[in-house]
Amino acid sequence: MIWLSVGQVLLLVAIAPLVRGVIARLKARIQNRCGASVWRPYADLVKLFRKEDLVPPSASIVFRFAPMIVFAATVTAAAFVPALHGSALLGATGDFILFVYLLALSRFFLSLGAMDGGSSFGGMGASREALVSALAEVPLLLGLVAVAILARTATLAGIVQWTVRQDFTQISAVHALAFAALALVAIAETGRIPVDNPTTHLELTMIHEAMVLEYSGPSLALIEWASAVKLSLLLALLIGVFAPWGMAGGISVAALVLATLVFLLKVFVLALAIAVVESSIAKLRMYLVPDFLGVASALAILAVVFTALMR
Amino acid sequence: MTLLFPLLVPLLGAATVLVCRRPAVAVRVALAFGALEVLAIGNAVWRIRAAGVLPAGRYLRADGLTSFFLINTGLIFALVLAYSVGYLRHIPAGRFSSPRWFYGLMFLFLFTIMAVYLSSNLGLLWIFVEATTLASALLVGFYNTEGAVEAGWKYLIVCTVGIAFALFGTIVLYLAAVRGGVDPRSALDWAVLMSAAPNLRGAQDLLKLAFVFVAIGYGTKIGFVPMHSWLPDAHAEAPSPISAMLSAVLLNCALYALLRFDAITSRAIGSGFSHTLLLIFGALSVVVAGFLMIVQRDLKRLLAYSSIEHMGIAALGIGLGGAFGLYGALLHAFNHSIAKSLLFFTAGHVRENFGTLRMERIRGMGRALPWASAALVIGSLAIVGLPPFGLFVSEFLILTEAFSQARYAVAVLLLAALSVVFGALLYHFQRMLAGDPESAPASPRVPAADFAVMGVCAACLLVLGMRIPSAFSSVLRAAMAVLQ
Amino acid sequence: MHLVHFAATRALASSAVFLFITVLLMATAKRISTCIVLFSAQCAIITAEILAMAYVHRSSEAYAVAALVLIVKVLAIPYALFRIVKDLQAPGDITASTTAAQSVFIAAGLILLSFFAVEPYSETLRVDTGMLAAAIALVLSGAFLMVSRKKALAQVIGLLVLENGIFLAALTTTFGMPLVVEIGIFFDLLMGVFLMGLFVFRIRDTFEHLDVSKLRRLRG
Repeated sequence: MIWLSVGQVLLLVAIAPLVRGVIARLKARIQNRCGASVWRPYADLVKLFRKEDLVPPSASIVFRFAPMIVFAATVTAAAFVPALHGSALLGATGDFILFVYLLALSRFFLSLGAMDGGSSFGGMGASREALVSALAEVPLLLGLVAVAILARTATLAGIVQWTVRQDFTQISAVHALAFAALALVAIAETGRIPVDNPTTHLELTMIHEAMVLEYSGPSLALIEWASAVKLSLLLALLIGVFAPWGMAGGISVAALVLATLVFLLKVFVLALAIAVVESSIAKLRMYLVPDFLGVASALAILAVVFTALMR
Repeated sequence: MTLLFPLLVPLLGAATVLVCRRPAVAVRVALAFGALEVLAIGNAVWRIRAAGVLPAGRYLRADGLTSFFLINTGLIFALVLAYSVGYLRHIPAGRFSSPRWFYGLMFLFLFTIMAVYLSSNLGLLWIFVEATTLASALLVGFYNTEGAVEAGWKYLIVCTVGIAFALFGTIVLYLAAVRGGVDPRSALDWAVLMSAAPNLRGAQDLLKLAFVFVAIGYGTKIGFVPMHSWLPDAHAEAPSPISAMLSAVLLNCALYALLRFDAITSRAIGSGFSHTLLLIFGALSVVVAGFLMIVQRDLKRLLAYSSIEHMGIAALGIGLGGAFGLYGALLHAFNHSIAKSLLFFTAGHVRENFGTLRMERIRGMGRALPWASAALVIGSLAIVGLPPFGLFVSEFLILTEAFSQARYAVAVLLLAALSVVFGALLYHFQRMLAGDPESAPASPRVPAADFAVMGVCAACLLVLGMRIPSAFSSVLRAAMAVLQ
Repeated sequence: MHLVHFAATRALASSAVFLFITVLLMATAKRISTCIVLFSAQCAIITAEILAMAYVHRSSEAYAVAALVLIVKVLAIPYALFRIVKDLQAPGDITASTTAAQSVFIAAGLILLSFFAVEPYSETLRVDTGMLAAAIALVLSGAFLMVSRKKALAQVIGLLVLENGIFLAALTTTFGMPLVVEIGIFFDLLMGVFLMGLFVFRIRDTFEHLDVSKLRRLRG
């Protein structure tokens, strides 16, 4: 079974740029453009890996190692999320908390590296990112906690296995609220509209992009890949916790192929949803982002309280 | 059939008046239909007196209480109609301000009020009380001034929200009845509920909940104090004849609805809870309105607060119950409607001649408008509760009941509030009547019809103050019998 | 038939959740048209619930009520409101006295409050506490919308949500009142919306704006 779980992690890491490419392509189509090919992000990664890594003279060792830590932390987090079958490579009691804080670790080092780069945009991006991530932590944790309380288990794999056993036509209030909260958090954490525009070129509107302005070459490639993996991780988390039906029960090839296809289909649906949302609403001004995350927090808190009410 | 006439005549009247193009024709048509309506009401009251209870089909019903309020409405409507003929000559012409719209809306308003009184079913009662709000909202906002539009909007919103609470209370009562074994198809019928009331003793919680919501809901329309915010604005900004209709007829209409509910609740679980609630609302209204009257600057707003206060007194009377409480409350509602109409007619006069209703700008009315001043003096003496006018009798009865039940707190409160009101009105009116008339017109308009109307009001008040005619007294007693 | 029965029971079970979601979404809405769409969705959920109830209890009156709700509340009133918004040609945003996050917190608090309010009556009434709590939550959140929103049309929508809640409470506890009463209530509602629309135009013409919080000329 180990190779299956390792394969899961590799799948999540490998399809991450593809997810980004699909979202960009869907957005282009919605906006009546042709759009770049869905494999473009892979080409970008290859190009970046072949380029030279320039380091600002004032940077310290943090700037050099931050991208590797970011990538490593994100990939480690990927080891906790079940995608194809009901268990993951790593798992222990309370692993969803570790998952959240692995993502926080990657974010922390990204911010450190940005500040270490010495440019003012790096500092600005880091401070904004700190605000967004501080506010996003509560709904992320509470949303997962609410679902964990219902499932009476503290591992992500346990939650997934519990949900698979539930009747999917019975919509529970807790799940609806937790899904809403986690969806809002996913948007904030991965830097999509309405919190942050991933394709902007105006520095004053950037959050994530401002932090990576100073990076180049393989470092930039690692950071870009890590942020793509974060997106696919959060999508896999949403799918696993809220709609895991179709996951493989046994180790037969047919079940695994089916599970992979179902998973990719679900990821595509979520990517389509993201593309539609991104094309329909405008980016929020920075002082409204706490409000946005406040809404997510309220929904998450309500989800937790509801676990006691709707028994 | 007799009960259908008071309903159909206003509807036909509204339709006919709205079709008339020329104002003069519209006024005459309105007067004709008004006379027909008064006849229809008289006929209905006569038949009810003969039959005791007059049901008509599944949805109409009239008994002693209905006939009492029908007499009240008929009288006030006739007076208002007569007064409005002269008043309408001064409404600024606008797209919707012509006499035909005025009378059309007024007849629709009258139709909804008649439907409230004649419905047998609590659900229909609710529907038509809400309809009275809708029908009168455009009348409140009749002048297209800023104040009128604001008052109309506030009236519409606050009353609709309040009435929605009353709907909830009605539903809870229906629920209690259905669970108490009443057939669901007739569990909103008042007569059925009254006869099944003893069986509902077990659903105490539900009945109390229902009454609280109904008291809040219909209390909003009556103008009880925490929910009264719409009343001063609406009664002040509406045209004077409409203010008279609102204060005199609509408040009584909502009181009627509350009385019907109180009867059911009292018969089912005793009157302790409901009457205590009414005493609280009454006391609050009397005190707050009394004190707010001191600081008023607009004449019609002052009269509106006085209406709130008198409805509070009526609530106190109902809440006291006993031999004289309910009798006094009903009599008080009747007397108040006449006195308030008189005062609003006078206010209309003042507005016509002085051009404003701000009391600080009205001086020397005694010399400029002698007849209107006489009416004002009579009206204010009546509304304060001095003999020989009718309100003295009704307030005296309520006070007697308070003392005989040893509820000294209520009695003292009532007396204190009455003194405050007396002082406030004396202060305001004395300043208006005395002094030099600088801003009054040289030759004031004195339409004969208006003074005939005000004379009739004064005469009624005197008659009711000195000796209640036995026919009227028997109607009053029949009304009380229905509720007990 | 099996599928219909299945759909009916599922609809009854989960409509409370959907109603809570609409309450929360309405708290965050920044435009009038969003609110109108959410109101229409709320009424559609209630229609589905009435249909489910009609099917389970086999009552033909309930089918008539469902048709009424569909025609009046899901189609006619939102259409009228959209027409008013279009004819007003005013900026379609809702200025509120609370931000989106605060509104959602308050709305969430009201939902919890409604659960606590329904607790003591759950044994005496023996109804689905979820639905009754949803009804009370609609009433409370409608009142909150009326109080915290400054635009006249937003107040109207708050009023409509409040009446929705009361109607739903009636539905959950009594399975509907006599048909005549229901028809009368709907007619009243329709007339009420018509009149309020009329008044909104009058406010716009007299005051040149639609901010009812500035209507404070009459005081005291």
